[in-house]
Amino acid sequence: MLKWSIIWENLPFLLAGAGTTLALTVVSMVFATAAGLLVGLLNMYGGKVVGAITRLYIEVVRGTPALLIILLVYYALPIVGINLPQFPAAAVSLAACYAAYIAEVFRAAVESIPKGQSEAAFSLGMSRLQALRFVILPQTFRRVLPPLANEFAALIKDTSLVAFISMQDLLFKAKIIGARTYNPMSPLIGAAIIYLLMTTPVMQWSRNLEKRVD
Amino acid sequence: MPVDQHQAGKILNVEDLHKSFGSLEVIKGVGFDMDYQERLVLMGPSGSGKSTLVRCLNWIEPPTSGRVTFDGVLVDPKSTDIRRLREDIGMVFQQFNVFPHLTALQNVALGPVVVKKGNRTAAEAEAMELLAKVGLSHRAAYKPGQMSGGEQQRVAIARALAMHPKLMLFDEPTSSIDIELIHEVLEVMVKLADEGMTMIVVTHEMGFAREVADRVIFMDQGLIIESGTPKELFDHPQQERTQSFLSKVLMA
Repeated sequence: MLKWSIIWENLPFLLAGAGTTLALTVVSMVFATAAGLLVGLLNMYGGKVVGAITRLYIEVVRGTPALLIILLVYYALPIVGINLPQFPAAAVSLAACYAAYIAEVFRAAVESIPKGQSEAAFSLGMSRLQALRFVILPQTFRRVLPPLANEFAALIKDTSLVAFISMQDLLFKAKIIGARTYNPMSPLIGAAIIYLLMTTPVMQWSRNLEKRVD
Repeated sequence: MPVDQHQAGKILNVEDLHKSFGSLEVIKGVGFDMDYQERLVLMGPSGSGKSTLVRCLNWIEPPTSGRVTFDGVLVDPKSTDIRRLREDIGMVFQQFNVFPHLTALQNVALGPVVVKKGNRTAAEAEAMELLAKVGLSHRAAYKPGQMSGGEQQRVAIARALAMHPKLMLFDEPTSSIDIELIHEVLEVMVKLADEGMTMIVVTHEMGFAREVADRVIFMDQGLIIESGTPKELFDHPQQERTQSFLSKVLMA
């Protein structure tokens, strides 16, 4: 049965988990965006070999469960001598995973800029890098924000997968409370409300941005 | 005006230029040359290869084969710095291609700042002068979305001029502009011609060609059919294809 008192009494404990969730989301998102931009650009402009390698990376990651990547980084990398503590392992896995999706976001945005823009930049004598930096990427900025906000909201939810490597995020804390009180429903509902409070504003913001771009 | 060491020679020499897109040959061996300060107008039906030809001259479309000598230097894509070449050849596009995220002033100053690594303040001061020259001082802080087609195209001309090009290429500069605004763009181009700018203009504007062009080249199906002064070509075209094209343009 749902008991609000259980949620209320354990709220500080749940909020500490939400703090971990949010910190992990932000750190992962920052690295995922930087890596995604790099992978996307290398995929478009890196030439045949680099283009093929980055394409392989994007397709493999997109076709693999995020949970599998987390387990791989946390449990399998130590075998080859790379020992990452929980938080960095989780952040690296999620960033690697989301970088593949975000690379596609940037690729779509760059490809949506008319060819005449880069031709005009080249006709002034700009290099490819200068054209990207001063002409193309600034124009993609407004187009990538809505999809990036969507990825951010999805990432908030996907961080719950780190419960599998026993990280005490929001979901894991809710499960602890459930086991302790023999009432799994109340803390899970509490966690759901907190997740919604984090994701809803982000998705609303994304929708508002989309409206302004149109 | 300082006398260029090549002043006596040709600014441009094109020999046997070919350009194919896949199996489709768009330019089938074109040759011509151009004096410093000459004004050349390129005409021809759509698909004749005239736009592709001017786009080959600054390697926006790399020619498939042929020789291009610009300002006394043979352009060899293996050894020539194509970016340096483009600094010396300004280009104005049919679709303007002004940068929509920048103001008119920033559009004009961007090339000098980024490519020539110039001082921003100086570049913006010169950009203001160039905007005044194209009659757009009052639009300096406007973005392209807030300007008419004619105004955007004049920004594009000022942007090209900011690099101090030795040759200006105009690829159908008035074809995308509302008919009542075309004259403001043509007036700027006439002004440039009067100042001695070397230019190649792809256009169907007969009035402009008569007033400004030293020579008109008529192209069809990837070849130069004939060329001459506007008077020769317009009043006494020798080739049947030129006659039929001109009659259609004059009807319009």
